[in-house]
Amino acid sequence: MAPANGDDSPTDAQEFARLRSLLVGREQAELERLRREIRDRTLTAENVGRHLPEAIALRAESDDQLARALMPTLEDAFTESVQRNPQQIAQAIYPTLGPAIRKAIAEAIGGIVEGINRALEEGLSVRGLKWRIEAWRSGVPYAQVVMKHALVYRVEQAYLIHAETGLLLSHVTAPDLAAPDADVIAGMLTAIRDFARDSFAAGTDGGLHAFRVGDLSVIVEAGPRALLAAVVRGHHPPALAERLQETLELVHLQFAGPLARFSGDAAPFESARAILAECLETVVDTSGKTHRGLVPRLAWVAVFVALAFVGYILIASQIKWRRALATLRAEPGLVVLDAHRGLRTWHLQGLRDPLARPASVVLAGLGFDTSRVHETWAPYISADPGVVLRRALRVVTAPKGVELSIAGDTLIATGAAPVDWIDALHARVAAIPGIGAVSDTRLTVILPLAVQPVADSVAASHVFFETGSSRLSDAAQAMLRGLGGSLRTIEASLGPAWRAELDVVGRTDTTGSEQLNRALSDDRARVATDFLLHAGIQTTRPAPRGIGTTNPLPAQTLEERARVNRSVSFAVRVRRAEPGGERKQ
Amino acid sequence: MIQKKVCMVGVFATGKTSLVRRFVHSKFSDQYLSTVGVKIDRKPVRVKEQDVNLLLWDLEGRDGAQDIQTSYLRGSSGVLYVVDGTRRETLVQIAEIHELVSKSIGDVPSAIALNKADLTSAWIINDGDRAELGKRPWHVFETSALTGAGVERAFVWLAEQMGSVAS
Repeated sequence: MAPANGDDSPTDAQEFARLRSLLVGREQAELERLRREIRDRTLTAENVGRHLPEAIALRAESDDQLARALMPTLEDAFTESVQRNPQQIAQAIYPTLGPAIRKAIAEAIGGIVEGINRALEEGLSVRGLKWRIEAWRSGVPYAQVVMKHALVYRVEQAYLIHAETGLLLSHVTAPDLAAPDADVIAGMLTAIRDFARDSFAAGTDGGLHAFRVGDLSVIVEAGPRALLAAVVRGHHPPALAERLQETLELVHLQFAGPLARFSGDAAPFESARAILAECLETVVDTSGKTHRGLVPRLAWVAVFVALAFVGYILIASQIKWRRALATLRAEPGLVVLDAHRGLRTWHLQGLRDPLARPASVVLAGLGFDTSRVHETWAPYISADPGVVLRRALRVVTAPKGVELSIAGDTLIATGAAPVDWIDALHARVAAIPGIGAVSDTRLTVILPLAVQPVADSVAASHVFFETGSSRLSDAAQAMLRGLGGSLRTIEASLGPAWRAELDVVGRTDTTGSEQLNRALSDDRARVATDFLLHAGIQTTRPAPRGIGTTNPLPAQTLEERARVNRSVSFAVRVRRAEPGGERKQ
Repeated sequence: MIQKKVCMVGVFATGKTSLVRRFVHSKFSDQYLSTVGVKIDRKPVRVKEQDVNLLLWDLEGRDGAQDIQTSYLRGSSGVLYVVDGTRRETLVQIAEIHELVSKSIGDVPSAIALNKADLTSAWIINDGDRAELGKRPWHVFETSALTGAGVERAFVWLAEQMGSVAS
């Protein structure tokens, strides 16, 4: 080759380059293009991440091609994601899903509750009964009668009409209504719309929007290619027209193609029935407070309240009556033989001890109005302890320090009383009905002042003994005989019903064992008692009584104390003689 | 079910109403004609093995073309003109009405019913008139509401024409 000689003159180099371009110029250019392309591609890949968000935003602004293109991919990705990890998706949508489910459940339950309430209310109310009778008489199903009365509004039919031709595209009717001649009605509706516009609003775009026929309204919503007419019974809210408009917009959106191509074949609009069916709604008055029902309802409430009030009065009065009777029956000295109630009065009849509280006082104490009580009481003598005691107290007034009580038929006196009062008590007891006996054993007898010194001197008298001995000295015997005189003095002052006796107590000094002392004191008391009885002087029973060294008599010195306690001492006891004569010896 | 809107136009007392009453399903009373100016009825026909419901918009021009509400013509796939063969003035008026219809909705399949064909002896339409009618783009049927002659044919023909137009 020419350049191989090594002489690389500039001319040669140029020549060579020219030759090369002649021979492989096209391939060179191609090579360069490919190289650039490879380099550019690298650059684009690096930059694409940087520009992608911008690019997406730009494209999204101009049209929705991007969204459409991405949709299948996104859908696949979502499906794949759900299949792989449902938990993650669940967590992501939980915040919206939870409330939505709760709302749906609450609405469903609310609906059920409302339904039950309504059914109960209508089933039990006068209104419900009236409707049942109406249904029975007219032969119309009850549900329809309820509907007729409780209906607020109901969309009974919906027509989807081709705007230009007035031809019917689709039509739905409420299930219980007969199908009308929808196609001719659709045509006529269109015609009437045209007629109204031509007659009253020529030249404007508006048209007949709604008209009323009796209880029915026809609402016509117009779109560019179709009309939606709804036949509504009752009073519909303005929102209904809005909803119809939305439905019509949806139809325009979903059936844009078929609407544009429509030439009489309604088949493509078959699926529009479902959309129209959503317009068929029935709204009934579920408040339960209908304008017609309010006044009768209030009347019923008033009747109920009145009945409840009367019932309360009757029951309260019955309870009061029973309580009053129970109290009267428990009252001492009252025997209720007959009791009945009039409308406003009470009638009582029975027996009453004059000493018992009057029935009217008892009833007044319970808070009853006694002016309406008519009572008839026959007098009788009650053996009720309470009344008997009251009776006794009217006969014998207890002095201060004496209490009277009743146990069975025995009147028991407790305390300290003078002899003459005790005499009076015994004397009058027989006259008191209901008392069988008087017990004064718990009474301390207060001696008359005149004989009290005699009793005191008896109490001061002692019989002294030698140590360990129970033999009575001559002096002691003389002293004992003298006690008889004291007793007789006292008895004489008390009266024939009374007996005065000597209570004899023997003692010892502290020498010797307690057992021996007890026996010795008993001996001393017995010796003294025997001597007294022998001399005709009464002693109390049981006798004799030795108390050993317990309860010793006081003295100045130990020796003196030993001496005075080797003794027998005495006390005067007075008592009324047993009825029927002298006490047995 | 294919539906087509067909306008039936004619002047007062051309027997249009009796034509309709005998052959179509009528829901509305004739009073609509005098109040709203239109009455709509349904006429089912069978064309090429297919049921077609013709919705007949019965329009009436009491004194000719000026009484026809053109808005009623809108969307019509065909027009049936009704002429009283015994009253020549109806023929003149129908020409005016045809002008009006053409102006409103363009050329659609049209047929003319020369009604009262049962009274041909009383017809006062001459051959010249017939030739005049033939110049216009419509098909002429002689019909009789009394005997029923030609009426069904006119409707079927219209339906066929409209079908071809539509497809």
